[in-house]
Amino acid sequence: MTTSLRGATAFALAAALGCNKGLEPTPVPTTCPQGFVGVCGTVTFQGTRPDSTEGVFIVAYPTFPQSRNDLLSFSPFPPPSSLPQPFTGSQFYMLPLPSGRYEWVVAVWKRVGTFAPNFSNADSLLREAGFYRDGADTTSHGSGIVTVADGGANGISFLIDFGNMHSISYYFPAPPAH
Amino acid sequence: MRAVPSALPLTFFHRWGGPAARTGSLLLLLARPLAAQTAVVSGAVTDSAGAPIEYARVRAAGTNLRALTDGAGRFRLARVRAGQVVLHVDRVGYRRVVDTLAVASGESLFVNVTLAAAAFVAEPVVVTAAKRSQLVSQAITSVAVVSDTDLARRAVATVDEAVDKAPGVQFLNGQVNIRGSSGYVQGLGSRVLLLVDGVPANQGDRGGINWDLVPLQDVQRVEIVKGAGSSLYGSSAFGGVVNVLTRDIEPGVHASVRTRAGAFANPPHEVWRFRDYTGAEEGVDVTGSYGADALGASLTAGGWHSDGYREQDRRNHWQSAGKAEWRPDRATRVTASGSWASDQYETPLIWCTRGTCNDRGQTYQPFRIDTNGRGAFTRSDKGIVAATLERTTSARLAWQARGSWLRTHFIDYEPGNNDAGVANRLGAELRGLLHPSNNSLATVGAEGARSGVTSDIFGDHSQTEFAAYGESEQRLGGARLTAGARIDYIAVDGGGLSAVMSPRAGVVLPTGPDLVWRASAGRGFRAPSLAERFVSTVVQGLTVIPNPNLDPETAWSFELGNAARFSSTVRWDAALFWTEAYHLIEPRVETATSRIQFQNVTRARLAGLDLSVTVAPLAPRLTTALAYTFLYARELAHDSVPQRPLAFRPKHLLTLTADYQWRTLGVGGDFRYASRLERVELYESDPRVAEKVLDLRAGLAHGPLFLTCRLANALNYIYNQVPRTLAAVRTLSVTLTWTH
Repeated sequence: MTTSLRGATAFALAAALGCNKGLEPTPVPTTCPQGFVGVCGTVTFQGTRPDSTEGVFIVAYPTFPQSRNDLLSFSPFPPPSSLPQPFTGSQFYMLPLPSGRYEWVVAVWKRVGTFAPNFSNADSLLREAGFYRDGADTTSHGSGIVTVADGGANGISFLIDFGNMHSISYYFPAPPAH
Repeated sequence: MRAVPSALPLTFFHRWGGPAARTGSLLLLLARPLAAQTAVVSGAVTDSAGAPIEYARVRAAGTNLRALTDGAGRFRLARVRAGQVVLHVDRVGYRRVVDTLAVASGESLFVNVTLAAAAFVAEPVVVTAAKRSQLVSQAITSVAVVSDTDLARRAVATVDEAVDKAPGVQFLNGQVNIRGSSGYVQGLGSRVLLLVDGVPANQGDRGGINWDLVPLQDVQRVEIVKGAGSSLYGSSAFGGVVNVLTRDIEPGVHASVRTRAGAFANPPHEVWRFRDYTGAEEGVDVTGSYGADALGASLTAGGWHSDGYREQDRRNHWQSAGKAEWRPDRATRVTASGSWASDQYETPLIWCTRGTCNDRGQTYQPFRIDTNGRGAFTRSDKGIVAATLERTTSARLAWQARGSWLRTHFIDYEPGNNDAGVANRLGAELRGLLHPSNNSLATVGAEGARSGVTSDIFGDHSQTEFAAYGESEQRLGGARLTAGARIDYIAVDGGGLSAVMSPRAGVVLPTGPDLVWRASAGRGFRAPSLAERFVSTVVQGLTVIPNPNLDPETAWSFELGNAARFSSTVRWDAALFWTEAYHLIEPRVETATSRIQFQNVTRARLAGLDLSVTVAPLAPRLTTALAYTFLYARELAHDSVPQRPLAFRPKHLLTLTADYQWRTLGVGGDFRYASRLERVELYESDPRVAEKVLDLRAGLAHGPLFLTCRLANALNYIYNQVPRTLAAVRTLSVTLTWTH
């Protein structure tokens, strides 16, 4: 083999490395894909979507919030994009989360608008629209323990009911005004 | 050689110890003690065909003995110390010959030397590493040079496309990284300083870089200095300096017209198709110049249009540039230059994920955009003017003074929300080059700049910088020692001055005719941009709040380098580098208040190896090059954040280049591999892959015409460098240049 042939071969080999496929089409999955870490499931919509809807977001709390101050301790932060529209029928969702134990996987409806500093207008912009509840749950607010262990937790399915949404004050009454 | 057979081309020698020499020895009786210790070496230098070579340089290593051959190729070295003598014979255009002779006292040797022809490769001269001209091997830090030949051969459209292939350099969605310096902050706060003919040209508001500021037609070469350069250049030269040097004005009348047309490949999968036609691009540039002894001027104008390779990606670009030179005498030069560019481009923002467009059942559509961003586009205008007076007053002193004005103006049109800003950066510098002795040089100077911005999201603010610097080089034997420092004073909105000191020291040590070691340590810094200090806006529902109290980022940068030539064809340059970075400015999300603020939070370490090997030629007409960078980039533990990979830094970066030239036809290619990013910020769980891109090219010269064909990303490898932003797909472009 001549030197030039060796050079051309080396270059061709390098080019062949480039033949490895890059990004590929990825159909919407029906279960957590391999390598995904988080929770997956199907949400079913009920009721009519309010006209002022900006989006519906799913987040998870390691422990059920005990006060208004805990409401921002959800994962992931910042929250992922809204569930895709239209908000009718059922759709599969995936929520990437760090491995760990989560007590409350909840759907949050957001009205069109911008948060004021310190979330002082959160009551008017956010509603709890549904959450995952496991069979053994006996709590009044509803709870479903989900454990994410270096993989995807499937079957975290629940109902999102636009006709039965709850404001923050429902869980944590606003402190009396001074 | 001599009594010992030699394979080297000192073909034979004669002993001149015969009767004539012995007769003469009586006359040299008084000189006997000296003659008894020395000898005479003479000879003839010829080429392979036996023709004498004039002006070949002959020297005895380790001595001051040297001679040039005469018209008959003859030379003579007298008073050669008896013993072993290493003889170097070289001439431009021939391969150097080195051989060892054993010479006895009083002896006269005659040697015949045959030099084989070899391609002459001149060592590049650079002007950026030390703010003065020097051979690249004399620089204490690594320097990469992209020549106009490289630019023409690669048939690129913008400067960044060519710089991207330089060793240790990577562009991430338009943001330049030198050894992983910048990462990706959406063009904000570049940790690399851009110079245009030595004039700082980073934006006055955001600190970013407009790579299309100078038309490619006007670029003579680009120098890339790696590692901290703040000891000479101040802020932004944190991770390196890129100097775009425009063409000198040639004597006489010159003109060129460059036309370009191209097409983008369609998505490789039907489910990703987003339009029913093939995207195209086309452009034209016209350049004219006239140069005489005392005066010269050039002017370039042009523009191009691109349909883009994805949805909502069209762009129109207009540009012009001019340069004038006046040389009233041989020691004085006055240069005035300026360039202006205007862009109107649609903003693809991020690609569409499920439900945010017609996703066709896909989790993401890389060629389509989120419908919330539909209609977004940007108008961006930028211009720079500069004037320089250079004067060489004596062999000991040269100085230059310059002034510059950089202006950028943008309007972001987004659905329901427009942002706009105007920024100006006025700069001035006075620099002197002192040559107090043959063994020493000193560069001293003072620099001032004022940046100002008026914007709805950055407010109305200004920043003033004053600096003084000095750096000296001292030769000690073959070594060159360099030490210097710069002090910068920075005031924001007329407030108190804060000072940053940036020292640097280094050494260049040749340990052989083809082997040079270099070592350096220096401090880099970057003052926060006005945008980072004062931005006030809303991003994805989160409020971005200003932080006027940001401190400058700083870093200590170390390098140990080696440049070697193993033969007339193989050259290499390797460097180990280590950077300890402090107070890096990063956007931080405050979860308690749902706010984003730029803060000095990150302590980081970037270390690695930078290697480039050039084999020219590997075989007749074939040249090859390899550039590899290994980067260990870690964000060190701070607050509650554990140590983790620094975001947007690939661990491995490899570029392979090959070019084959046959008469006026050249073909070649570049292959770039960048390993999968270990960590990104935002959308961490999104799919991302390594970068593996093959670019192919061909060029044909015919008289005044030069035709190039370029197939960028020939394998149509689909990838993204930053989250949810598709990198360029396969693009075929044809460029025709006519030169007068």
